[in-house]
Amino acid sequence: MEQRYANCWRLTVNEKKFIESSLLSELRVDGRGSLEYRKLSIKFGKDNGSAEVQLGETRVMSFVSAELVQPYKDRPNEGTLSIFTEFSPMADPSFEPGRPGESAVELGRIIDRGLRESRAIDTESLCVLSAKLVWAIRIDIHILDNAGNLVDAANIAALASLSTFRRSECSLGGEDGQQVVVHPPEVREPLPLIIHHLPVAVTFGFFSNENLVVLDPTYHEEAVMTGSMTVTLNANGDVCAIQKPGRQGIFQRVIMHCLKLAHVKAADITTKIIDAVEKHNIQREVQKVKRHSNCFTD
Amino acid sequence: MESKSAGSSTNFVDQLVYPGDVVLDLSTMTNQTIKLGGGLRQDGDVISVMKAGRLRFSKPNKYWVESSQKRYVPHAEDSVLGIIVDSRSDNFLVDIKGPTLAFLPVLAFEGGTRRNIPKFEVGALIYVRVVKAIPGMNPELSCTDASGKAGEFGALKEGYMFECSTGLSRMLLSTPTCPVLDTLGKKLSFEIAVGLNGRVWVNASSPSTTIIVANALINSEVLSGVQQKIMAEKLLQRVQ
Repeated sequence: MEQRYANCWRLTVNEKKFIESSLLSELRVDGRGSLEYRKLSIKFGKDNGSAEVQLGETRVMSFVSAELVQPYKDRPNEGTLSIFTEFSPMADPSFEPGRPGESAVELGRIIDRGLRESRAIDTESLCVLSAKLVWAIRIDIHILDNAGNLVDAANIAALASLSTFRRSECSLGGEDGQQVVVHPPEVREPLPLIIHHLPVAVTFGFFSNENLVVLDPTYHEEAVMTGSMTVTLNANGDVCAIQKPGRQGIFQRVIMHCLKLAHVKAADITTKIIDAVEKHNIQREVQKVKRHSNCFTD
Repeated sequence: MESKSAGSSTNFVDQLVYPGDVVLDLSTMTNQTIKLGGGLRQDGDVISVMKAGRLRFSKPNKYWVESSQKRYVPHAEDSVLGIIVDSRSDNFLVDIKGPTLAFLPVLAFEGGTRRNIPKFEVGALIYVRVVKAIPGMNPELSCTDASGKAGEFGALKEGYMFECSTGLSRMLLSTPTCPVLDTLGKKLSFEIAVGLNGRVWVNASSPSTTIIVANALINSEVLSGVQQKIMAEKLLQRVQ
């Protein structure tokens, strides 16, 4: 019991009061404006489909993999997309190893709703052989460091890794044309996923004082705030999902105002993701060019 | 460098050392008494290092390894910032970022008797002194200095507390005053309490000053003395 006490981080009364009172004068403890995002950086791994996102001090890694499976009976022509979250106790001592906690499930669900139910990924193109074989795309999200607003960071990581993911090409062969041949990447260039749009999650925090709204709450603000709202929308402003945990009630006009703000932010983040992905793709192409430096020497 | 390590029998002083390094050979220093601090141990005839950090030496014969870490290992006579977790009939349970919770006896206050036990709500921030730190036991705290006076110990009201590494708090407490505090202190007025356990409390009359000071201190962790001064001066210019 006592050991558990010692391991968890706790907020002091002083901090709680200070965060609330300074927000009243439009100040945040990390020096940001109330509607300012933290610094976002997107890095890619060596493998296709791995990305690491750093949002302020929050770090999230995402890894996409694919395998051939039998499709669901009711959707014989569609591939599947599933999201798994891993909350390591290294990221935050309050995360317990083993079974996923409430926050892990909620995070996975929000991203899942934003990506899958808005049909951002074209699942029909993942079908290889109707009712026999489809690609199952799996996104693994690892939280590396929790400094607040995991949802946004994890969502950006998932989008970045999906945008750089390449699956092996496969074709049908054999006598009856039912034999599936998977071509290794050396033989045929792997294919990217077909992504229709990028649904970006933007989180707002609400406090007991109804006039206070902050964008991208930090760990400390998360501990103080009484409610939050995550809006998932794409650069065109189409709302894909809204999640509003916490008991705090929010006025309709505040929600509409937040949606407008989120639209601007989403467009901003989308360009950042696209830029980073493009840069990565160019880099990868350059690496692929084989240079024979000693070809012409003799 | 030469003058600093004068009197010590090793040339590792103020250098980075790593676990396994042998810093002292006792067979060459007979008839000498040395005192070992944290991070060092005796292996037969040699003194070897147990944790990564800088080897420090204090005249005439004290050696220890200083490192910066997120976890605090309680040590007697350290002043720390604690958070009240729970109150029992004879002890307050206090979180001091150590491996276990620390006990603050309800009588360990100036003029403390059974009749005037102070009241702390859960989550209150207090500035306390570690009295006993024995491995395997919960550390014991006190809200008085060694002579039984309250001094500056006790509850900290208002203000903002942030957590940092133990190295940063040691830097803030060092003499002469570290450049960032020195520069900020010339222009801004604020109160500060630094706990050796990697917690710093800042209070000023306006929240904006508190935020500026807190962020300047957090940012100064990786900066050298001159850089700290430049950073603090730039910050002050932006404010005025």
